[in-house]
Amino acid sequence: MYKLKINGNEIEVPEGTTVLKAATLAGVEIPTLCDHPALEPYGGCRLCLVEIEGARTLQPACTLPVSNNMVIKTQTEKVKSARKFVLSMIFSERNHFCPYCQVSGSDCELQNAAYDEGMTHWPIQPNWQPYQMDASHPYFVLEHNRCILCRRCVRACAELVGNFTLGMEERGANTILVADLGVPLGSSSCISCGVCVQICPTGALIDRWSAYRGQEKDVNKTKTICIGCSIGCGIEVLHRDNNLIKINGDWDAEINGGVLCDVGRFIPLDEKRNRVVTPMVRKDGTLKAATWEEALSVVIDNFKPLVDKKDDEVAAIASTRLPADVLYYFKQIFSEKFDSGMITSTEEDRFTGALSEFSDKRGPFESKLSDLHDADTIMTIGLDLTKDHQVAGFFIKRLIPKGLQVIPVSYEAGGMDAFTSHSTVINQGKDLAFIQALDGAVLGDNIDALAEKTGLSSQEILELAKLLNTSEKLVFVYGTDFETKQKKETIQALLNLAEKVNAKLISPKGKANSLVAEQLRLNKSFKLNGHKAAYVALGDEEPSQTLIKKLEEIPFLAVQASFQSALTAKADVVLPVTTWLEQDGYYVTCDGQVQLAHKSLQAPVDVKSNKEVVLAIADLLKIILNPVWDKAIKLEKSVVEIG
Amino acid sequence: MSKPKVATDWMAGCAGCHMSLLDIDERILQVLELVDLRASPITDLKEADETGVDVGVLEGGINNTANEHQAKLMRSRCKYLVALGDCAVFGGVPAMRNFFTIEETLRRAYIETESTVDGFIPTDPELGVPTRVRAVQEVVPVDLHVPGCPPSADVIFHVLAELAQGRIPELKDENLHWH
Repeated sequence: MYKLKINGNEIEVPEGTTVLKAATLAGVEIPTLCDHPALEPYGGCRLCLVEIEGARTLQPACTLPVSNNMVIKTQTEKVKSARKFVLSMIFSERNHFCPYCQVSGSDCELQNAAYDEGMTHWPIQPNWQPYQMDASHPYFVLEHNRCILCRRCVRACAELVGNFTLGMEERGANTILVADLGVPLGSSSCISCGVCVQICPTGALIDRWSAYRGQEKDVNKTKTICIGCSIGCGIEVLHRDNNLIKINGDWDAEINGGVLCDVGRFIPLDEKRNRVVTPMVRKDGTLKAATWEEALSVVIDNFKPLVDKKDDEVAAIASTRLPADVLYYFKQIFSEKFDSGMITSTEEDRFTGALSEFSDKRGPFESKLSDLHDADTIMTIGLDLTKDHQVAGFFIKRLIPKGLQVIPVSYEAGGMDAFTSHSTVINQGKDLAFIQALDGAVLGDNIDALAEKTGLSSQEILELAKLLNTSEKLVFVYGTDFETKQKKETIQALLNLAEKVNAKLISPKGKANSLVAEQLRLNKSFKLNGHKAAYVALGDEEPSQTLIKKLEEIPFLAVQASFQSALTAKADVVLPVTTWLEQDGYYVTCDGQVQLAHKSLQAPVDVKSNKEVVLAIADLLKIILNPVWDKAIKLEKSVVEIG
Repeated sequence: MSKPKVATDWMAGCAGCHMSLLDIDERILQVLELVDLRASPITDLKEADETGVDVGVLEGGINNTANEHQAKLMRSRCKYLVALGDCAVFGGVPAMRNFFTIEETLRRAYIETESTVDGFIPTDPELGVPTRVRAVQEVVPVDLHVPGCPPSADVIFHVLAELAQGRIPELKDENLHWH
């Protein structure tokens, strides 16, 4: 521990702490621009210059490590004058016009820094060189005139996301932010995650949807969980007068540390579907508005006679975007009361297939997603982390410059290939052969026959095996979407290999409550055969074409949905429900973490929450529901420790 | 002791800052009890007294030689010069013109506008010659900058009230922040 004095006050901090961090610990504020708690210190903007006794010049607090008995002064005339000068220089470099900027008012860190120094004008005039605006990207705009060259976006794209799209080109006054080697953002390798937009301190990177609709000072912020997939990233929903303004990553959330992908950040704002705003009942061939009482009674009238029927007459399917308790109530109603064999989730076991058979035998065997952060070698198979569960992909990509070895195994070239030298493309559906070949190679067996099946050379597989053998912190990230009838055997082979090479196993599974659906055994393939009635608890999910087709001939169809679709159009009863933003609910991540999502918006007047609807149905059917979903999901052994 | 003398003028501005000044409503009576408003674009006399005034207020940036003349005149005739509004402090909206050449802008304004027939760029020697749009401080030294587009009536009242009572106004927090 080092002893230091900041503005006369003594504190003790561990060795290696920067002056900036030490000041924060001492409750002293030092202004910064290029610094950000989620990024490595950069020292580029020089706004954090402070006086260090004994130093010849002012020193940047963000990068300078403290030394024992250091004396730091942050409020001297020299420091204050330096801050004004640094800001003057920054203002003079580009064209910082506040009057029409979307962030002027409370959201611009440059403006706030200038106000904090009491600046009323530009001491140094700009040189009036016009800079470009890049509006080629569908979700955000890059306005170079407002850029202060802090490189936060470049560093975020590299350190937090690992995509390395952004960089700086040229020098001096011509320094400019570029995507790839100088292409418009819309045609670049940008994956639209938007972390750069969130981290930009000025209005240089502007999100199109939220522009002019509300700043920090105007909006309400609700911390909640993203329901885009099973990773469960922490988000902050910005809303104003019950309108969704923006979705930011929550920097304080443990799972994602503030990063988000386009599925979580931008797609929810690109909502083009129409809401179901009132209950509807089919009368004389067309859907007509009805009261809740009427709509629910029609549902009961059609389902009640099918209770305790010998043959399977009722089918039910629920979205994995629904909260855990709703899924448990759903199961209790249809699986237990109706004793239906055809009750499942919209995932139909696609992403968790066969996994429960393994957990049944051996108990939890998967690790936490956070184990990705310390791995030295990661192999991915049976999934593409650049398409789904992208944030897991970020965790992997961003460690590559630190020496992480990544082996993405897939049937065709994918998004991970540009970042790793171990890209492994195998013949379609030959995952089992590949794993067996790798297994054999690890032991030193002859694997020529197996290698041929995979389409790789024995040499390539031997090299991969060598890599697995020499790694100390090995992780396999796997999906179960193998194109083979031997899914079980493939997973078994993978588990065997993992044991041999001491690898941790992680599977992202499917949508938000994928694991819950699996634990509740809502995991059958949806097949109709003489069923008389079907209930679809769709929530705000978009129904797939195959599901719509399967339900074409069903005599009676009831759907609880937020949005109109081809499915609601052919339903006999449509019950309007809340979207993910309008309801509270528990969600269990792919690695067993239970999280509570908080509602941020109020649903339209006649719309009920998903929970209210299933409770109402249970009530009308005189079913007494067990509310203890958290115990229910632990009844069966899970692949990963829950809770 | 006679009341301090104040004169205002506007150059490449929209007059919005003067309108915001008028937005101090009945407080103008309080101000006029303390100061002698000698000249302004919205009163009878348009130029500050040759004998000089205590406070000069300039709205608008400088976009031609005529504005330069106005700014230099005001500076020479006042002891304390205030640049009022974003145009005077930064160049403001008219400064957008700086991203084009003067030839381009003259051609666009006098020849290429959609409703113009047989346009020509005027060259009368009595006309001010367009220059790069500049903040007032680029042409004459300024003593106080009051940013805002426009600065709110409360800010302007604060500035006038302080100056009227012989104090230098301090602009911070709500009087400085963009609204």
